[in-house]
Amino acid sequence: MKGNSVLIVDDEAIVRESIRDWLADAGYDVATAETAEEALETIAKRDFSVMVLDIRLPGQTGLSILKEVKAQRPWIKSIIITAYPSEETTKEATRLGAIDYMVKPLAPDDLEHLIRETIESVGKEPTVITPPKAPGKPAAKAIEIKKSVVVSKQSFKSLVNNLIKITDVYGVKAKRGKYVYDSISSANELALNYDVTVLPPTAYLFPPRETILKFKLGDGSKSEPVTNNTPRAIIGVHPYDIKAIEMLDEAFITTNPDPNYIARRQNSLIIGVDNLNPSPKSFAPSMGTHTAENGFDLMLTDLGTKYMVTIGSKKGADLLRKYAQISQPTADDIAKQKAVLDEAQAKYQLHLDVPRERLPKLLEDSYDDAYWQSRSETCLSCGSCVMVCPTCFCFDVQDDVALNLKEGQRTRQWDGCMLVDFAKVATGENFRHDKASRFRHRIYRKGKYVIERYGRMGCVGCGRCAIACLAEIASPLEAFNAIAESVRAKQAAQRILREARPESELYAPRPAQLVRVEQLAAKEKVFEMKFLDGKELGHQPGQFVSVSILGIGESPFGVATSPTRTGSFEFAVRNVGSVTNAIHNLQKGAVVGIRGPFGNGFNVKALEGKDILFIAGGIGLFPVRSLIQYVMDRRKQFGRAIVLFGARTPAERLFVDELAAWKNNPDLEFYETVDRGTPDWTGNVGVITTLIPKVQIDPRKTMAIVVGPPIMYRFVIVELKKKDLPDENIIMSLERRMKCGVGKCGHCQINGVYVCQEGPVFSLAQLRNLREAV
Amino acid sequence: MKAKVAFFDFTSCEGCQLDVLNLTGEELLDLLGAIEIVNFREAISNRSDDYDIAFIEGSISREAEIPRLQKIRAQAKVLVALGACACIGGVNCLKNHLPMEQALKMVYGDAAKYYDTIPARPINAVVPVDFYVRGCPIQTGELVKVVKALLLGKKPDIPNYPVCTECKMAGNICVFEFGKTCLGPVTRAGCNAICVTGGRQCWGCRGLVDEPNKNSEEEILKKHGLTPEQVVEKFKIYNTYAEVKK
Repeated sequence: MKGNSVLIVDDEAIVRESIRDWLADAGYDVATAETAEEALETIAKRDFSVMVLDIRLPGQTGLSILKEVKAQRPWIKSIIITAYPSEETTKEATRLGAIDYMVKPLAPDDLEHLIRETIESVGKEPTVITPPKAPGKPAAKAIEIKKSVVVSKQSFKSLVNNLIKITDVYGVKAKRGKYVYDSISSANELALNYDVTVLPPTAYLFPPRETILKFKLGDGSKSEPVTNNTPRAIIGVHPYDIKAIEMLDEAFITTNPDPNYIARRQNSLIIGVDNLNPSPKSFAPSMGTHTAENGFDLMLTDLGTKYMVTIGSKKGADLLRKYAQISQPTADDIAKQKAVLDEAQAKYQLHLDVPRERLPKLLEDSYDDAYWQSRSETCLSCGSCVMVCPTCFCFDVQDDVALNLKEGQRTRQWDGCMLVDFAKVATGENFRHDKASRFRHRIYRKGKYVIERYGRMGCVGCGRCAIACLAEIASPLEAFNAIAESVRAKQAAQRILREARPESELYAPRPAQLVRVEQLAAKEKVFEMKFLDGKELGHQPGQFVSVSILGIGESPFGVATSPTRTGSFEFAVRNVGSVTNAIHNLQKGAVVGIRGPFGNGFNVKALEGKDILFIAGGIGLFPVRSLIQYVMDRRKQFGRAIVLFGARTPAERLFVDELAAWKNNPDLEFYETVDRGTPDWTGNVGVITTLIPKVQIDPRKTMAIVVGPPIMYRFVIVELKKKDLPDENIIMSLERRMKCGVGKCGHCQINGVYVCQEGPVFSLAQLRNLREAV
Repeated sequence: MKAKVAFFDFTSCEGCQLDVLNLTGEELLDLLGAIEIVNFREAISNRSDDYDIAFIEGSISREAEIPRLQKIRAQAKVLVALGACACIGGVNCLKNHLPMEQALKMVYGDAAKYYDTIPARPINAVVPVDFYVRGCPIQTGELVKVVKALLLGKKPDIPNYPVCTECKMAGNICVFEFGKTCLGPVTRAGCNAICVTGGRQCWGCRGLVDEPNKNSEEEILKKHGLTPEQVVEKFKIYNTYAEVKK
């Protein structure tokens, strides 16, 4: 039985037996033969999956066994082993169907790996040979181009086997777990459900090396063109490679028609196959190359046991008529084809971030982008990316003269712009001497130059270069996306810059005059200011200003008056540091600098219609006073106004006249306490939280405005929560270190929030998410 | 008049000269039709000091070899380095990592005192070299190419790109795909990637290209599993001289 059966043919006992033992241990069914004759006898009796064959044998050589096997059992895969490798025997063995070549001494695990891969890759395609059926009857109707028909896989194989009899046939085969285009001698060798081949099929139209001229030297010197007109069929071409061929057609045929390319192209029959198993490096849909409507003679879609075949040319139609049994696709077939193509398209992982039509312009704008330099750092200039590319077609031309110096040939061979000397001239000048400029040139060809010159995509998204590049930098998709991103970022930056309106006064204080000073307590004074230009401050209650004493510094202070009281504004200052001390030393009439107002302030709109519970501790009264004044001035817009004020001692009470006025004002409910009383103090004694239980509030319509020393907040919140006040209804103003007031210097930041911008007023609900806050 | 050609060997295995003799009969006859070989110790008994082109196999590893090479250089109109030892120092230079006395002792043991040795070097470290036929061993096709170029009075087209280019043209699957490591990305092509095509990998016998991206190659080798020490060892095999010279 076949399965995993291996025949080892080697005259050296030690090699033969060591391989046998190794493979037997690995679970293979192993037989051996010492001579070609013995091998042929064994093969005549039984079948094998793989033959491991020494070329040099006594008597008949290994090559003669290959010939026999090719005739008798063409499905046996042969691996050649030899201690004397040469190009000739390699070629001959390959021609006779050997699939691979290993040089002795062998690493047994390498050999085992190769055998395993060979068996596995063969397993994908059934190896049962059926005798070719008699050619089907000519179809009743003429077959139309662009039409789709259904052909069974068996019938297609028979078509291929017939083709092999009349022309050179190249197709996609499995090789060591990868796929390659190679000469095929049986349809069974085809592996059409592949992802991508190592080299593209364009190599049959524009080969790695080819002779373009033959010439004679000396007297009667002359040259004549050489072209290759051998008919051939190329089977298994994926749509992206078909698009690449169309691109090459433009380059080679449209202007200065190239005789060598055209000869090969006109004599090549192209049988394509839809790619249902895309390589993870491919991005064909982004390049519009995952399907093809033209550019083939026949196009197959694998529907399981049969192919949907789209006819692309008369040649293709004739071929079907002659060698295949066709039937009309059923509705199910058509639905299945759509389903498998959709499924295949969904498998692509990589995508272009911009429409491909925009690539030329994007690249145009990115010639000096830093990307070219940085990304090409690791480029090996090894040429792998351009050698495996189906749309690359640059070449070098060399003369090869025979040793008699009388005749010779001019050949062309693949060359590429990624190679160091590609643009070097005889005088030594290299016009693309650095990696970055070569790297950029290649990407520009793919995304711009080729498109502009030939009207077709210069990159078909096959992903071969990305697979081949050891430095992992070759994928044009990556470059295109990086450039698109860079251009987007640049444009955004330019737009911001272009539209920028600098606020030249941002850090320059406006002069304001001190019109009144009043001592509030031992260390506190209130200052009434008027701008010299007569303008208003234009603030909201709860906002702050930066007060600037030139030569000393700037400090932030909450505005203590309501914007409803026009003409001037007040701020109050406790003398605790250098700036506050300088402010305290100011005399009436002095001019100081003011920046602001800054911050959000209290959202007075949101307070409208609500009962407001003001809770101010100590100098927390300063900003709260601004809002109390506002509410008093627009009394009808608000519900109840309840003010709780606490000072440490009676002597530290602030704005005592106003406190007395509030107490007597029927529009206000005013409660006051001191932490420590004095003999002449007749009011409440106790911390401010002791006032809260005394107030009855409706938690659904009450907003609490709480400002005071940090310690106060924690206890006040506890008390308010006892009254079921929601977090959203507890509004606090936070004190933080502030320098710039405009959201830049960073001092006031709480987690991600700038207090000078989003604050200083926050609801407790907001603060619950700011873990640094309270 | 045919050009007179002489072959000389210095420190080497003489395998490159042997490869010249391995040309097929037809090629050899064609070659002999184009040139006259006047000195080739490995193949003919004639000795003549009247020659135009000298092919030198081997590196220089003894003092006495220096004047001998200088004498050849003085006579030859064209001097060609033949093979890895002559072109880049080759495997002979592996000993340069040792003190010379220790190397002598390792090879000759007690008889070391009868021998002298100096750090091995390619011949262009001693005399100017006109052309190079690279490899270990040489590609005879390349030798013929250089001979033809000399006869035609043109510069031979020897690639200055890495083996990868030819390896891809040969349709090979990259050996890195199979977990092997390879010096192809920095080694000068011209061999048609014969080692990879034959199932092995590149060891750098043709020397590095003019601008090898060694840093990138080293990173790639490490990424594919080599330790930094193994990376150094890999480069050492044929390219010690370039390393030590730095």
